Amino acid sequence: MHSLGRSWLLLTGFILFYVIYLLFGALMFSSIERPVEDKLRQEMEVLKQEFLNQSCVNSTSLERFLVKVLTANKYGVSVLANNSATSNWDLTSSMFFANTLVTTVGYGQTTPLSDTGKAFSILYALIGVPFTMLVLTACVQRIMCPLVLSPVSLLQRSGMEPRPATFLHFLLLLLLVVLCFFVVPAAVFSSVELSWSFLDGIYFCFISLCTIGLGDFVPGTQPGQKYRQLYQVTVMVYLFLGLMMMYLLLRTFHKMADLHGLTTFLQLPRCDESDLEDDREPIIEGKPEDQAPPYQTEKEANKHLKPGSHPVYNTINSG
Amino acid sequence: MAAPDLLDPKSAAHNSKPRLSFSVSPVLLNTPEDECDTRTTVMRWKTVSAIFFLVVLYLIIGATVFRALEQPHESSQKLAILAEKLDFLAMHSCVNSSELEDLVKQVVSAVRAGVNPSGNSTNHMSLWDISSSFFFAGTVITTIGFGNISPHTEGGRIFCIIYALLGIPLFGFLLAGVGDQLGTIFGKGIAKVEKMIVKWKVSQTKIRVISTLIFILFGCLIFVALPVIIFKHIEGWSTLESIYFVVITLTTIGFGDFVAGEKGGSESPEFLNYYKPVVWFWILVGLAYFAAVLSMIGDWFRVISKKTKEEVGEFRAHAAEWTANVSAEFKETRRRLSVDIYDKFQRAASIKRKLSSELGINQELTPGKRALSVNLYEDRENYPNSTLSLSPITGTLARNGSFYLNGLSPDYADRREIAIIENLK
Repeated sequence: MHSLGRSWLLLTGFILFYVIYLLFGALMFSSIERPVEDKLRQEMEVLKQEFLNQSCVNSTSLERFLVKVLTANKYGVSVLANNSATSNWDLTSSMFFANTLVTTVGYGQTTPLSDTGKAFSILYALIGVPFTMLVLTACVQRIMCPLVLSPVSLLQRSGMEPRPATFLHFLLLLLLVVLCFFVVPAAVFSSVELSWSFLDGIYFCFISLCTIGLGDFVPGTQPGQKYRQLYQVTVMVYLFLGLMMMYLLLRTFHKMADLHGLTTFLQLPRCDESDLEDDREPIIEGKPEDQAPPYQTEKEANKHLKPGSHPVYNTINSG
Repeated sequence: MAAPDLLDPKSAAHNSKPRLSFSVSPVLLNTPEDECDTRTTVMRWKTVSAIFFLVVLYLIIGATVFRALEQPHESSQKLAILAEKLDFLAMHSCVNSSELEDLVKQVVSAVRAGVNPSGNSTNHMSLWDISSSFFFAGTVITTIGFGNISPHTEGGRIFCIIYALLGIPLFGFLLAGVGDQLGTIFGKGIAKVEKMIVKWKVSQTKIRVISTLIFILFGCLIFVALPVIIFKHIEGWSTLESIYFVVITLTTIGFGDFVAGEKGGSESPEFLNYYKPVVWFWILVGLAYFAAVLSMIGDWFRVISKKTKEEVGEFRAHAAEWTANVSAEFKETRRRLSVDIYDKFQRAASIKRKLSSELGINQELTPGKRALSVNLYEDRENYPNSTLSLSPITGTLARNGSFYLNGLSPDYADRREIAIIENLK
C-alpha cells in the first residue's frame, strides 16, 4: 500500500509545515505589532489621567460610561455627534451586509444585534454560501473559454510548447488581474476615502478578495460620504467581479499545475475530475459517485473527498 | 428531407408518413461543440444569467429582511447611548461636550487598534502575545478573518499580504488532505452500517439517503453541538450566540463580534494556552466538514436546477414534437388536397378537350366547375376522411377562369411543397 502510506506521509508533512508556518507568522506579527500596541496603551492612560485630572468626573463613572460607549461601538452605533444621521441598516447597507455574508468575506463592522437577526443570518448563510459559490463557479466556467483556453490554443498554434504556453499565459493573466483589480481600485479607494493611503487601498483589496475580510477597512462607512448608496453598490460589484477573477486565476493555476504534473505528485485532486459534470445522475442515485470515492479507501488513493475537490470557498481545491 | 415532387402526384401518394421538416432535439445543457469545450460541459449563458439574477434577488430579499429586523434595534441602541451621554454630561457639569467627544473618539480608535482602555492597566493581556498572534495568523490563513485583532502598522499590513498569499494555498492543501482522511474514516463506518442495512433489503436509494442523513447528523453532533455546549459553558454565551459563532466561523465568514478565547483576563493563563490550540484544531476539522456539507447543498442546487431544466427540456421537446407532428399532418393533408385538385383539373382539362372536340368550341361551358363538381363528388367517396371544403375552391374557380392555387400560405412557398399553377380558360 505504497500510495496510502505516501498519502499519510504527505498529510503529516502538510500539517507539520502548516504549524511551523503559523508559528513563524505569530512570531513575526508579535514582533511587529507589539511595540506599537504598548505605546498606544500608554497614550490612552495618559489621556484618561488628563481627562480625570481636569474635571470632576471620578474614575468609576468614567469607566462605566466608556464601557457602554464601547459596547455600542462594537455594534456600529457611535455616540459621536456627527454620526447620528446615517443608519447602518438602510437598504443598501443591508444589502452590502448580506453580500459580505454570502461571499464569506464577513467584515464585521456591522453585525446583527437582535437574536432574530442572528438566527436569520445563520439560515441565510447556510443557503446563500453554496449558492454564491455555484454562481461564481458557473461564471468562471463560462469566461474560462475566451480568457484562458482560446489564448492558450492561440499561443500553441503560434508554435510554443504547451507547458511554456500555459505558464506564459498564466503570468499574463496574473499581471492583468493585479493591475485591474488591485492597483486601479486601490488608487480609486485611496482618493475617495479620506483617511486611506495607497497601501491601505491595496491592503483592503487583498483582504477582501481573499475573503478574509478583517473589517478594519470598510469603504463607505465614513460619515458624510457622498453618494453612499451608489458607492456601496459599486463596491459590491467590484467584490463579485474580483472574486470571480480570483477563482479564474486559481483554476488556471490548477490546470497549469496539472499539466506540469504537480497535482499528481502531491496527490491533490486533478482538474479534470471536475465537479461540474452536468451529466451526473440525480442526487439519490448519484450519491455513490459522491460518497463512493471515500468509501473505497485503499483502492482510490488518488480520488479525494469533496471538500478537497470542490471549489467551495477555500482556494486551490477548485477542480 | 426533400420535399416530394408534387408535379408527379403518383409518387407523392406513396409517401404518406408525416414529414418533419426540422429536427427536434431536447434542450441540451451542453453547448454545441465549441473549439474550447473539450471535456467539461459548460452551462449556457442563459442559465448563468438566470442564476445570477436569482442571487441578486436573494441578496435583495436578505437586505430587506435584515433591515426590518435590525433597524429598530439600532435606533433603540442609539437612543440609549445618547441618553447615557446626556446623563453623563448632566451629572458631571465640569465636563463640556467637546472634550467628551474628543475623549470618546480617541478611545474608539484605540479600541480599533486593539487596546481596551477601560479597566486597570495592570492585568492586561496583550493582543499580540504569541498565542494570540498564532490565532490571528490562523484566522488569516483560513480566510475567516475575525478582525477583532488586525495589524495596524504598515509593516504589519505588508507582511500580512505576503503571508496570506503563501498561506492560503497551503491551508487549501491541508484542508484537502484532512477532508480526505475524514471521509475515509467516516466511510468505513458507513460501509459497515450499510452492510447491516442491506440485510433488511432496503432499496439502494434509501440506503444512500440514510447514509447522507447519518453523515449530516453525526457531523453536526461532533462539530457543531459539542462545541456549542463547550462555548456556552466557557465563554458564557447564550445557545443562539454559540450556534451563531460556530456557523459564522465554520463557513469562514468570520464577523468577529464573537470570538472564542477573547476574554483574556479572567481565566488562568495555562488554561487559555491550552484552550486556544484546541479551538484552532476544531476550526480545521470543522472547516473540512462544513466544506463537505456546503458542497453537498451546492450539489443539490445543481441537481434541482438540472432536473427542472431536464423536465422543462423534455416538456419543450414533447411540445415541439407534437407541434411538428400536427403541422406535418396538416401539410400532408393540404398536399394531398392540392394533389387531388391538380388531378381533378387534369381530368377536367382532358374532359373539356374531349367535349370541345365533340361539341365544338362555340359552346362556352365553365367546364372546370362542372367537371370539378362531378369529379369532386366522386372523390368525396374515395377520400372520406379528407376535410375538403369545396365551396371556397369552387368559388375561386367560378370567380375567375384562371386560378392560382398556391401552397396556401406564403411561408411554404419556398419549400416547394405545394405550388400548382394552372391556367384554365
